[in-house]
Amino acid sequence: MDNHKSLYIKNAIWLALLTFLEIGVSYLSISRTGQIVLLMAFAITKMLLVAWIYMHVRYETKALKWVIFIPIPAGILFTVALMYDIPFRWVV
Amino acid sequence: MNQNINQTIPVNDPFGKASNGKLGMWLLIIVDGLSFAGLLIAGASLRASSSSWPVAGEILDIPLTAFNTFLLICTSFTMVMALSSIQKGDQGGLKRYLAYTMAGGLLFLGIQAWEYYHFIHNGFLINSSMYASIFYVTTGFHGLHVLSGVIYIGCILWAASNGRYSANDWDHVEILGLFWHFVDLVWILVFTIIYLV
Repeated sequence: MDNHKSLYIKNAIWLALLTFLEIGVSYLSISRTGQIVLLMAFAITKMLLVAWIYMHVRYETKALKWVIFIPIPAGILFTVALMYDIPFRWVV
Repeated sequence: MNQNINQTIPVNDPFGKASNGKLGMWLLIIVDGLSFAGLLIAGASLRASSSSWPVAGEILDIPLTAFNTFLLICTSFTMVMALSSIQKGDQGGLKRYLAYTMAGGLLFLGIQAWEYYHFIHNGFLINSSMYASIFYVTTGFHGLHVLSGVIYIGCILWAASNGRYSANDWDHVEILGLFWHFVDLVWILVFTIIYLV
């Protein structure tokens, strides 16, 4: 299926580079929101690189890709729902 | 009997050539991913409603864990190389890369155990604070996945040593790879949310 050793090496280098950038961002004196956005962007990029190249998602059929990616919006929706709940916790 | 069973099972066209085992692993990964999401979202929610929270690096050792993250990335590379090797019929390469991956996983666990020992020795216990609880539960849950992965690699390595796999039969190695990459993928998010954010 795939024997692109150089692609796998490049991917590992990118992952390592993004990890070092993440650590750099965590020490930057920028706004908290900016820091979180940057860190999450780096993390999501790394996760996509692992899934797309190492897990060979790019070779899977459209149906399997849908099965894999559909739960992600569910997680985001759950997060937003919980965050909206926070101001009302004192009621209980 | 077997012939009848084969006739009644529909062809998995929407999923291409993916074997049942591979589809099963993807389902496990999705369910497991949602378990991790539940932990991380609960942690984020508790953090958002907490009045005080330690800043990045105040308690946790970022450089050491960054090394651990790098180590896990390297094991993802060795795992994909193990699959690539057996797809070319290189049994020696399969065994070598699986052994590297296993060693990397064990080293990751060793560093995590050392980190826990250090924290516990300094009084940072699971019941010390909300932050400590979230840290130990999430990283501990991930650590158990790494341990499961190491045992799983050991089983496949044992089968590989007996010449079980070839250029035409590498499905089990691919399924193992999916699990191991998932463990790496989740750690990327755990490291970012627990250690850096």
